[in-house]
Amino acid sequence: MAIEISKEDKDATYVVLPAYNEATRIQPVIDEIAEKGYNMVIVNDGSSDNTLDVVLESKRKYPDQIHIFSLTINRGVGIATQTGFDAVLRFNPKYVVSMDSDGQHSVDDLDNVLEPLVTGRAKAVIGVRPFKDMPFSRSFANGIMNLLTKIFYKVDVSDSQTGFRAITIDALKQITINARGYLISSEFIREVNDKNIPFEEVPIKTIYTPETQAKGTNVNEAIKILFQMIRHQF
Amino acid sequence: MLLYSIIFPIISIIAIVWFLFRYLNQKQSLLTVILWAIFWIIVSLFAIFPNFSNAFAKLFGITRGLDFIIILVFAVLVYTIFKLYNRVDKLRDDVNTLVKEIALKNEITLEEEE
Repeated sequence: MAIEISKEDKDATYVVLPAYNEATRIQPVIDEIAEKGYNMVIVNDGSSDNTLDVVLESKRKYPDQIHIFSLTINRGVGIATQTGFDAVLRFNPKYVVSMDSDGQHSVDDLDNVLEPLVTGRAKAVIGVRPFKDMPFSRSFANGIMNLLTKIFYKVDVSDSQTGFRAITIDALKQITINARGYLISSEFIREVNDKNIPFEEVPIKTIYTPETQAKGTNVNEAIKILFQMIRHQF
Repeated sequence: MLLYSIIFPIISIIAIVWFLFRYLNQKQSLLTVILWAIFWIIVSLFAIFPNFSNAFAKLFGITRGLDFIIILVFAVLVYTIFKLYNRVDKLRDDVNTLVKEIALKNEITLEEEE
């Protein structure tokens, strides 16, 4: 049973939501996060649908909790998350969380991933998805990615491709993220490990729908990430 | 004298002059100009003296002059692709930085939408 996060800690927490063409899925995610009392930095990643309009509509409902930034052209989840991490610094938070905006992650897990940070057990957390809940193609690709992360980045984690992560502001200032796309997940873990930032894995729920399955690390993405990891060795 | 023996040297001269102009206009590095000039001079020599390629081929342990030319062209193409890939990659990074900076400087507020 997770501890109850205090209002003070919730006020000092910002959730970064990178969003690319999520007009039909992002609204419930924002509503749930806002209802729980957390702040958000939403980065529209050059969406071609009306994601930005939907997000603005949410800002009308929760004007103080939502901050919106928009990339003029689609640059990938890595750049959108980096933008969110940079933007969040100006709000002087204590904790920063990033999660998917397509409803794949359960907002209820926010408290769980924050708990090790709030109690001081860790300074970074990755939310790990149970492989048994994943479709075979996804769990196969993620298994390969875990192996590659272990080989190239020397870190052994249960889910290297998770988009659900939390970090204290001090730790965030120590790490450098350069990844453009889905490599950001492995890069985040590598940076945390290289900088000797104490981190924990926290089990999270994953909600797979045909739409969310179309995104994320599939075999094509895994091949792209492999090339990027090889390149980073030189 | 065969037609290609005239055409290739002409193309080579035009190419070298073009690269020199680009260098003078500071659009090309000296190293790139030198490398391309060497390439076009070799192409001209092969065109004017076809047996010249055989001498080069033997130098590298290749039996036929034509094989040597094919390998040389292939190597130049691979190098060019590699350079282009690096340049595109650098441009992509520049675009990312620019797009990110623009977004960070322009937080979207409700006032500006209304």
